[in-house]
Amino acid sequence: MAVCSDKTVLNQWYAIGATEEIEPERMTETVLLEEELSYTVDALGSPKVWRTGHDAGELVPSQCVYGYVWTCLGEASGEVFAIPEFSEPDRRNMNAATIGVNVSAPRAIENFLDMGHFPYVHTDILGVEPHTEVKEYDVEISIENDEILATRCRFFQPMASQASGGGADVEYIYRVPHPFCSVLYKSSPVDDKRMDVIAVFLQPVDQEHIRAHMMLSVLDEDNDDKSIRLFQQTIFGQDKPILENQFPKRLPLDPRAETPIRADKSAITYRRWLSRKGITYGVIPAAA
Amino acid sequence: MITLYDYELSGNCYKLRLFMSMLDIEYEVIAVDFYPGKEHKSEWFLEINPLGQLPVLEDNGFVLRDAQAILIYLASKYDAGGKWYPTDQPQTLGDISQWLAFADSITSTSSAARLHDGLFYDFDIEACRAGAHRLFRIFDEHLWFAEKQNRNWICPGDHPTIADIACFPYVILSEEGGISRQDYPAIRRWTDRVKRIPGFVVMSGVFPAGPAFKAAG
Amino acid sequence: METQHRKWHPIAASSDLPLRHTFHGQLLGREFAVWRADDGYVNVWENRCLHRGVRLSIGINDGAELKCQYHGWRYANRTAGCTYIPAHPADAPARTICNRTYPAVERYGLVWSGETPDGELPEISELEAGSPCALRAIPVNAPADLVTKRLAEYRFQPNAKIDGQGAEITVETAQDGHLSLSSVDGEVSTKLLLFVQPVDSNRTVVRGVLSDRPKQEDELRVFLHHSRRLSSLRDLIEAEAAGLPVPEPMQPVIHRVSEELASMPEQTLSGRTAPLRVEVSRKWETAAGIAGLKLVPVGEQLPTFQPGAHIDVHMPNGLVRQYSLTNGPGETRHYTIGVKLEPDSRGGSQCMHREVREGDVLAISEPRNNFPLRRDAVKTLFVAGGIGITPLLSMARALHHSDLPHELHYFSQSEKHMAFPEVLERLGSGVVPHLGLDPAETGKQLKAILSRYQPAMHLYVCGPGPMLEATRKIAADHGWPDNSIHFEYFKNTNEVDDSSSFEIDLARSVMTLQVPAGKTILAVLRENGVDVPSSCEQGACGTCLTTLLEGEPDHQDVYLNESEKSSGNCIMTCVSRAKSGRLVLDI
Repeated sequence: MAVCSDKTVLNQWYAIGATEEIEPERMTETVLLEEELSYTVDALGSPKVWRTGHDAGELVPSQCVYGYVWTCLGEASGEVFAIPEFSEPDRRNMNAATIGVNVSAPRAIENFLDMGHFPYVHTDILGVEPHTEVKEYDVEISIENDEILATRCRFFQPMASQASGGGADVEYIYRVPHPFCSVLYKSSPVDDKRMDVIAVFLQPVDQEHIRAHMMLSVLDEDNDDKSIRLFQQTIFGQDKPILENQFPKRLPLDPRAETPIRADKSAITYRRWLSRKGITYGVIPAAA
Repeated sequence: MITLYDYELSGNCYKLRLFMSMLDIEYEVIAVDFYPGKEHKSEWFLEINPLGQLPVLEDNGFVLRDAQAILIYLASKYDAGGKWYPTDQPQTLGDISQWLAFADSITSTSSAARLHDGLFYDFDIEACRAGAHRLFRIFDEHLWFAEKQNRNWICPGDHPTIADIACFPYVILSEEGGISRQDYPAIRRWTDRVKRIPGFVVMSGVFPAGPAFKAAG
Repeated sequence: METQHRKWHPIAASSDLPLRHTFHGQLLGREFAVWRADDGYVNVWENRCLHRGVRLSIGINDGAELKCQYHGWRYANRTAGCTYIPAHPADAPARTICNRTYPAVERYGLVWSGETPDGELPEISELEAGSPCALRAIPVNAPADLVTKRLAEYRFQPNAKIDGQGAEITVETAQDGHLSLSSVDGEVSTKLLLFVQPVDSNRTVVRGVLSDRPKQEDELRVFLHHSRRLSSLRDLIEAEAAGLPVPEPMQPVIHRVSEELASMPEQTLSGRTAPLRVEVSRKWETAAGIAGLKLVPVGEQLPTFQPGAHIDVHMPNGLVRQYSLTNGPGETRHYTIGVKLEPDSRGGSQCMHREVREGDVLAISEPRNNFPLRRDAVKTLFVAGGIGITPLLSMARALHHSDLPHELHYFSQSEKHMAFPEVLERLGSGVVPHLGLDPAETGKQLKAILSRYQPAMHLYVCGPGPMLEATRKIAADHGWPDNSIHFEYFKNTNEVDDSSSFEIDLARSVMTLQVPAGKTILAVLRENGVDVPSSCEQGACGTCLTTLLEGEPDHQDVYLNESEKSSGNCIMTCVSRAKSGRLVLDI
């Protein structure tokens, strides 16, 4: 019997480890949705995931996508959502980090979608006072893909322009193609027609703990992998104490639990989307 | 020129970034990919520090490892006023050494808990947390009594010492290891005071304090 | 449990709340952010920001407000009302976003609170009589009832024999929540009250208060004696609790926000747009009751202004107010305004005085000039009353800079009420202060000032309504023609009569619209998608001035002068209406 009774959550694919951090033929242990698992990748790069708690030894579905081993503990249906940019030949793809956070998965997704905190939490990096305004942007749920899409998002970033060294508005597009994953597109400093991709794949360890896998697919010829990773780790490290000080840890779906403002449009859409899907894991469902 | 072998998310490296900022010392950083690259265990780094630990500081060819040792070195060499590590005061020096050792105990409990929760190190998390709480109880009592004697800092005197710098990072980051500071109000007040030392800088995971109260006039 | 919620409990020591600190407290499972404002007031608030639930105990106490670390939302001392939402500096909703507060009483060296305590905090007779002195609090990982039971075994020495041994301890009372113990050693005795604060189901804080403060030289030893002995007892209690089943943590009810706050406010589509963002780079008291605010651009360069121009300031509380720019010629790196605190204001000046801080971002309109300055006068007289100095200051600076003849007559209560003294000083002998005059004396002075009219002289007046009326009348009496007198009202104090209903034709838009009673022309235009600039919307500022082609207007503004009004070819659409059944507007 699965511990998680939320079928929608159980039937999703989850990233559980970056393939480049796995030593071939070595076994790694992890926890997903309160179930203990082990996984390995063979010399040819094929993954294998099996239960080590209840039904120990039982193999569960697995695949390698976007540089991670993915698995599903329920009835796997379909593929992992598409990130077409990942396969563009001139991009550099990497796992920036896998970091544990004491928070529910949906709280972390909401933080990932949020721009208003940039000047306060990512001071001098992604934002700076007094440039605090969140300008109007658009949010829609794509019927075709059943995913949330926030477009026309702009936020002032200090040092945004490498050429001038000054601040400027940076453009963002956010996708939420999976209850606990989000993909962010950010205007590329080196190519004004294309965007960098920063994705966060959350592995819910339990309802109030996650492992966050951060995937980068960037157009950057100047910086080495190490400094690109370090930048993302610094950003994520700044969000961590905020996430760990949110109360309650599970995301409340009752519209009257918290106070939204216009800047929270994408978060409101996300909460409604989770409600409509009937998600109960990692959230406090709205009273019927 | 000073070079710091550094990892942003390391509290031990932060001790030195913090202290050099307070002393207004210029330095260069060589970023070491602690995670996921495990560069501190790489061949090139082991040549610099066979223990495979961060931070390491190089000052014109002089190489030193261990955050506490480096604090002593920097204070002795670069603090012209001799306030941070007063070499002419034997009792204070003894006191500072005692708290530098205490800072190491905080590292082996609070920092270990943080590595367990954040980067999945295989530590006995309950033992780490219990150990940190045991230290924090002692530390809170010490700071409460310091306040009662109108002292702001860990060691006697009206100026902070390197003991404050050595203890600060893994106290302020303890919540990342699931160690709440709610039961330690004197520690919480002391962290506010440390954040208001001129030259204070944050690291990823540490918030700045607001301005202190200034009496009118 | 319910009775516990209706009791007063200690939640902190007074010494836990130094200025500019935020204490992290908890009672019966509910967390508190507890902070003392610079005025000494102790705030006990639920420990979560209403926006996204982040603990406010990690927030910043700036002495007057608590600022959330996540998005910079600020909540005011005492009221806990949200005063600033940085993500929307333009149109922070006028909704009342208010954090949950709990009562706070500071007594016996402790801070007392409760969920919904009955009545006043009861007096504790043992402490009322003496000179109470709070000991270091001891947190215990054990349930409160177990702690209370074991505290009866506490052994301690009286203050005056702190190094002795074997004092006799008597438990005098042990009612719910606290024990009263007495320690007697020979001649000396000390009374100790131990309060048990139920933090959560398995966490407790013991707060000791001695009925009498020890002698100063014994104080530290007494504190240490209790800290160590209570800690030892704590270790025993925790060892005992470790053998018991761990109770479930308490689940405090998180109250829902109001229906109104739950929905996301739509973007305001008023014609009063605020396209500019400025940061308050400096705020200071430029005169008694008048705040000076220096506004610097966020992002782009500020637009050019002319002397006499005003801006709309959109305040954090949702109100919009007009303020004249005081800047001199060429000063375009900042706008500087002066704001007088109006005790009976509807919240505009109060917000600017109390809530707006240095570093805040405000949304403002582009500068508009409905009070233009002619520079072809043989001589220009400025008559300023009180805060009416602000537009005239900008004008006088312009003329002073070009060496054009002018006099600035500044009527003010006293010298310390004169705003921007450093600027006035630079204007030199052109400034003539008239201080502390009553209305009769003011009239006399005005007569003297206005008695020497010559053609091509111009007069600019700004000040309170009665003074303005008096000046206009005196000027007219002394032969100043209407078109040489220029004035700006702060506000329209006339009662607006909006009972008429009529039709408007828009000549250029080819539309006919009905204006019913109770609705302004401006509102009807907007409802029909016709965007017309406006600012004060009370007939004082002149922004919505519209050319009238046909019909008889019912002027209700204070902006137009008599000759303009009688000409019948213009109208202020925000307050004025029609005497005829139909108006034709050039829109």
